[in-house]
Amino acid sequence: MRYLCNIWRIAKREMKILWQNPIYLCCMLIFPILTMLFFTTMLDEGVPQEMPVGVVDLDNTSTSRALIRRLDGFQSSHVVAHYASVAEARHAMQENEIYGFLYFPKGTTDHLLSARRPKVSFYYSNISLAAGSMVMKDLKTVATLGSAAVGQATMRAKGFTPQQIQAFLQPVRIDLHQVANPWSNYNMYLSTVFVPGVMMLFMFLISAYSLGMELKFNRGKEWLAKADGNIVVALLGKFLPQALVFLVLIFFYEFYIYHVLHFAHEGGVWRIILMAVLQVFGSIGFGIFIFGLMPSLRMSMSICSLWGVLGFSLAGSAFPVMGMDTPIQALTWLFPLRHYYMLYQITVFNGYPLIDAWFHLVALVASTLLPWFVVRKIKNAMLTYVYIP
Amino acid sequence: MSIFRKIIKWLDDAAFVWRFELRQVLRDEGVLLFCIVVPLVYPLLYSWIYNNEHIHEVPVVVVDRSHSQQSREFVRMCDASADVRVVCYAEDLDDAQSLVSRQVVKGIYYIPEDFATHLNRMEQGTISVYCDMALMLTYKAIYQTAMAVSQQMGAQIQTKLSSNYTAREDLITTSPLDVEEVAMFNPQGGYGTAVLPAVLMLIIQQTLALGIGLAAGTARERNRYGDLIPIHPCYGGIGRVVSGKALCYLMVYAVMSTYLVVVVPRFFSFIHIAPWQNILQLMIPYLLACVFFGMTVSCLVRYRENVILLMVFVSLPLLFLTGVSWPQTSIPGYLQGVSWLFPSTFGVRAYLRLNSMGGSIGDVSPELRYLWIQVAAYLGMACLVYGHQLRVSQRHAQERLDYLRKKRKVRLALKKRQ
Repeated sequence: MRYLCNIWRIAKREMKILWQNPIYLCCMLIFPILTMLFFTTMLDEGVPQEMPVGVVDLDNTSTSRALIRRLDGFQSSHVVAHYASVAEARHAMQENEIYGFLYFPKGTTDHLLSARRPKVSFYYSNISLAAGSMVMKDLKTVATLGSAAVGQATMRAKGFTPQQIQAFLQPVRIDLHQVANPWSNYNMYLSTVFVPGVMMLFMFLISAYSLGMELKFNRGKEWLAKADGNIVVALLGKFLPQALVFLVLIFFYEFYIYHVLHFAHEGGVWRIILMAVLQVFGSIGFGIFIFGLMPSLRMSMSICSLWGVLGFSLAGSAFPVMGMDTPIQALTWLFPLRHYYMLYQITVFNGYPLIDAWFHLVALVASTLLPWFVVRKIKNAMLTYVYIP
Repeated sequence: MSIFRKIIKWLDDAAFVWRFELRQVLRDEGVLLFCIVVPLVYPLLYSWIYNNEHIHEVPVVVVDRSHSQQSREFVRMCDASADVRVVCYAEDLDDAQSLVSRQVVKGIYYIPEDFATHLNRMEQGTISVYCDMALMLTYKAIYQTAMAVSQQMGAQIQTKLSSNYTAREDLITTSPLDVEEVAMFNPQGGYGTAVLPAVLMLIIQQTLALGIGLAAGTARERNRYGDLIPIHPCYGGIGRVVSGKALCYLMVYAVMSTYLVVVVPRFFSFIHIAPWQNILQLMIPYLLACVFFGMTVSCLVRYRENVILLMVFVSLPLLFLTGVSWPQTSIPGYLQGVSWLFPSTFGVRAYLRLNSMGGSIGDVSPELRYLWIQVAAYLGMACLVYGHQLRVSQRHAQERLDYLRKKRKVRLALKKRQ
């Protein structure tokens, strides 16, 4: 009972601190919500649409023009310009005007009709990978359609049925199932990792910051005195209000993405709640641990920020971990965001059984318990360290 | 004092500020971490992470209900491709799904019972591909391999059916139009090649802003009145303070940015096709804009730690705003407007087009123009905020002086009375 009273007293003191310093308001509510709105509105299209492409049409016949009209009709491509030569089109790419272009040499239709197998080419820039692959898909489809149109016309003239034509032109059909994200929506794919990542970054930083501020303004002794010198009670009381604020923030974010934006969540509500709890406590635990390792405000915050930023790459959501070198693969285990991402994609996004993600769940629980190793050091720091600017 | 003397004095003062600032930077471990260690180590780490550029041999599971020569050929051909590896066979889809769930495989090839029957009846045979959509790159590898193999198998079937005489005829039947695919500037479609140049340029801006902000925070905390600018005869004018400080950071970053944009791409063989003159023409306005941007931001922070809270989380949104991950044409207009506030947006775009796409200075002239506008704007803002800081510290000095004079007067008066 005495412990609970002490926790409550420290929590009240912490709430006062959170209220008085505007930096907490910014970092616990305003910046994370801005980040959330940034990613969800920027990726609102889901798939890049109407990307500018060009055409070099030296053939200029009804066949080539029909193909160009088809290209323009695709969802992700928009034919913005015709160029007189390949060199000009390449120059337009270097000037950032188009992401790719289709090239019909002179006499393409002639050669096609006389069965002399003309060559058409399509060029695209892979400097922006998302744009490059989308434009490549459209250009390739158009070129393949051009090829198929010839066979189709010949067979129709010979009197084959549509089924026969289909079976001859494409004997093996691929039936694609994009599980849980049939639109290949980039918003679902990126916003569900990067936004929690930024929130975790803030949790690391704020945990280290709030402990460091006790040292900096020399309030550590008073804080510990309120807990009767029990550092565990002091930490619990201090981080209780913060964890509640962050939980509210994350529930708001999850309500927004799953209920308002209808992101895929095969796993159901309880797992989403479990993820939120693990995310908050795991991150705060990690932040306290880093502060305990280096009880200095600036060093612990620097390490937290560097660790958090690296986490975005090492989570392996954009470039898969299996493609990295083995030492780096081992390193990814040390990043809470990696475990969060794995837990999210296995249990919430795909809705597979929780047991298949047990390792990542245990890792996040372990991250919550990390401060255990350093509580004595934090206590010692609060009682004896003097802040030097 | 003659005008000549004045200029000499001005330069002398600026040089003093420069030296003093440099000493501060070298003494402060936080600044050293962000201005020296991070720019040295981070690029190496990132390059190592993306070193392999590609993923090959993505594991898949096959559910072969057809058990025919054709189905086995499909599986063999997929397994032989560079991007996909068949790691196991499953009895049914549930089995296969549990393998995906346990992260053993990333996708399923399902070949139904009637696959070979359909093909032999000269009908269309269907193969289902199930992809784990948690990773776009593995999804693409699995799907594109299946597409390529199905097209190749289709071409073989077409050749058999069309009773041609010559190889040339076969070729014309299967592909009457020869389609050539040319991936420009990043021919292998490597992830690192696409992302790293942007990361390198962004590291320059972020570490500069963090370093300048931390140094400013330390200066305030060491100062008796919490002022940014110390009371010293050499800190007498805005021009000398701003130019002295800017010169210090420019000096450090002339070295660091050469390492970042010239040395690192050569270490890891990322594309580097711009001649040094072009890089120089880009880096001068970019560094200046970043330094003045950092100085402007540094005046906003009261405590040194706040700059970390302010600058670190924007790194990721800034990377997205450059248009590397998400196409620039798909970024909504108001976010494009926000992106114009940061030097990194134009710096990254120009650097990519010069160094990765082999553009000329003329191709990036709009970006360079925006960067020079940013240099002018942020220089003006830095002068404004530093002018304000200067007035604040002069006021504090005056108050202190008045206080001391008053104290002396009172003391003298007391002495007289005695």
